[in-house]
Amino acid sequence: MDADPLESDVNAGHPIGVAIVDDHPVVIDGVRAWLATEPRLRVLATGDDPDAVLRAAPDAEVVLLDLRLHGRMVLDKLAELSAAGRRVVVYSEHTDPQTMLAALDAGAVAFLAKHEGREHCVGTVLAAASDRPYVPPALAGAMVGDARPDRPALSDKEREALLLWFQSMSKASVARRMQISEHTVKQYVDRARIKYTRAGRPAATKAALLARAIEDGLVRPEDIGIYRSQASADRPTP
Amino acid sequence: MATESPAAVTTRPAPLPRPRVFARAGSAAAPPEAHAVADASDRGARLVAVVIALAWHLVIGLPAVLGAGPGMAAPAVVAGGWLVTALVGVATGVRLLRGGLPPARRLAAALLVVDAAVFAAAGERFLFSTANWVWGGLAWFFLLVLWRRPVRWLLAVLAAHATIALVAVVLHGATAPADLSRYAMYVYGTSTLPVAVFAGAAALTALARDRAGTAAAVLAMAAEREAAERAQGERQARLALVSGTAEEVLAALAAGEADPADPAVRRRAVLAAARLRRLIAESDDVPDPLLHELRAAADLAERNGLPIELIAVGTPPELPVDVRRGLADPLTAALAGARGWARLTVVANPDEVVVSLVTPDDDGPDDSGAPAGGDGPVERLHERDGEIRWTQTRWSRT
Repeated sequence: MDADPLESDVNAGHPIGVAIVDDHPVVIDGVRAWLATEPRLRVLATGDDPDAVLRAAPDAEVVLLDLRLHGRMVLDKLAELSAAGRRVVVYSEHTDPQTMLAALDAGAVAFLAKHEGREHCVGTVLAAASDRPYVPPALAGAMVGDARPDRPALSDKEREALLLWFQSMSKASVARRMQISEHTVKQYVDRARIKYTRAGRPAATKAALLARAIEDGLVRPEDIGIYRSQASADRPTP
Repeated sequence: MATESPAAVTTRPAPLPRPRVFARAGSAAAPPEAHAVADASDRGARLVAVVIALAWHLVIGLPAVLGAGPGMAAPAVVAGGWLVTALVGVATGVRLLRGGLPPARRLAAALLVVDAAVFAAAGERFLFSTANWVWGGLAWFFLLVLWRRPVRWLLAVLAAHATIALVAVVLHGATAPADLSRYAMYVYGTSTLPVAVFAGAAALTALARDRAGTAAAVLAMAAEREAAERAQGERQARLALVSGTAEEVLAALAAGEADPADPAVRRRAVLAAARLRRLIAESDDVPDPLLHELRAAADLAERNGLPIELIAVGTPPELPVDVRRGLADPLTAALAGARGWARLTVVANPDEVVVSLVTPDDDGPDDSGAPAGGDGPVERLHERDGEIRWTQTRWSRT
């Protein structure tokens, strides 16, 4: 549905290596089966210990990480991996907004709720591999409901797109409601996500997301407050 | 579902009490109830002060002024001052007994002007007599106009009063030791009682406010605990039900009695899973009344075999009943006609609450009832686009 067809410049030659960290073998088998339907992805290693899995597959481009391992929330491990530049897609049944936002703050490239299904799982991993944002509906809900005082400032359109995407889970329906194209809906949603790279502590993964977004023309540096030149101060936002 | 236990078939639960939790950060943040209690306890003291001031003025001050009459240096000024003070006293008394506060600074300044004028106009002969009524009576009026203000204001005004008196005593040439000691006695005698009454009333008010604040906080905590316990009980009942149905499906699958390829078995599994997920998603300790209503409607729809997802983000603010109805009713109506599956979402912040129901669109008639639009502060929207049916209500603080 929203599995963005990847541009040919990314990983054109070899498949994307994925590592899966989960303490339930049945989940690992399920996710592996999902990812197997996508020829561009290859699962390199699995296990319940992030360090062991990454030792086995040091070249994994994306790490799917269950946020709760052996009864403990591993937000600290997530932050450590993200700071080291590992693209971590958090994969969890804990879908309360605080946890999701905390995962983004810690540097997760994306947050996927376990019940969100195959298409979102494949789509998220593909997007993560190219440092592009992917916002499944549950994460959109967490972002639009974010009431923290230091939350990023979203535009009205970005908020509305997130809200409707969260409600309907159909970008086509959101596009009809907002009377814009599906592509523009995705842009609003992704732009909101990029603004979250400025929340929480800095991480290599956040910088990569941001850099790619600027490269793709999704955001301008001054839109998210990292650069403001005198010349462009009153340029209208498109 | 045929496997439901009788305990689970409840009618729509009554709305939970919504507790109010007060931050207790000093009297300024005390709840309105505490202010009301403090006000009531202060009322007696205000009445006493008003009666003392006016009675003294009328019964002791007036006869003395009339008795002294033309013997004073400027009887008209003394009588005029008496009249002005009486008017200030009556106006202030009315305001105080109605629960308001007079404009303290301006009235205190006016009274000090009267003070000085009467001292000057009484003349040397009547300086220490009751005809110079400002000596004894004016302190009570200071008390009235400065009611509930900081006690240092009263002390400052009384100090000004004593200074005016001293200047008058000196200018009138009454500087003999006996006169000065009389002056000291007068100042002491006329100031102590009003100050004591004032400070006592202030202390009582503070005490009452504090106790009322404590009582309100205790009540709020008790209400919250009761609501949380009820929510917990309901949740446990639902968990028992969910575990029961899930266990049955799993047991049947494990025993080979149920075939995973059978659509009926799959549907049972989907329903059990949806219900478990909803239960897990309930993270609020004390359910908000709006969420409570929506959950009840979702439970009902699910018992009719509809897998439904209910996701709430944020905590709705306290909403009037009609707003809550405006938000929930179109959704519950649409839910009744839903087929296939349903996704019910709530996104709330203090200024906005948006509730949405999305179900698959089929060729059936549109039985959503009310057309799009809005009544009052709630905006309503209903549409179907061939893919989904979408009902949304939105309340925004205006």
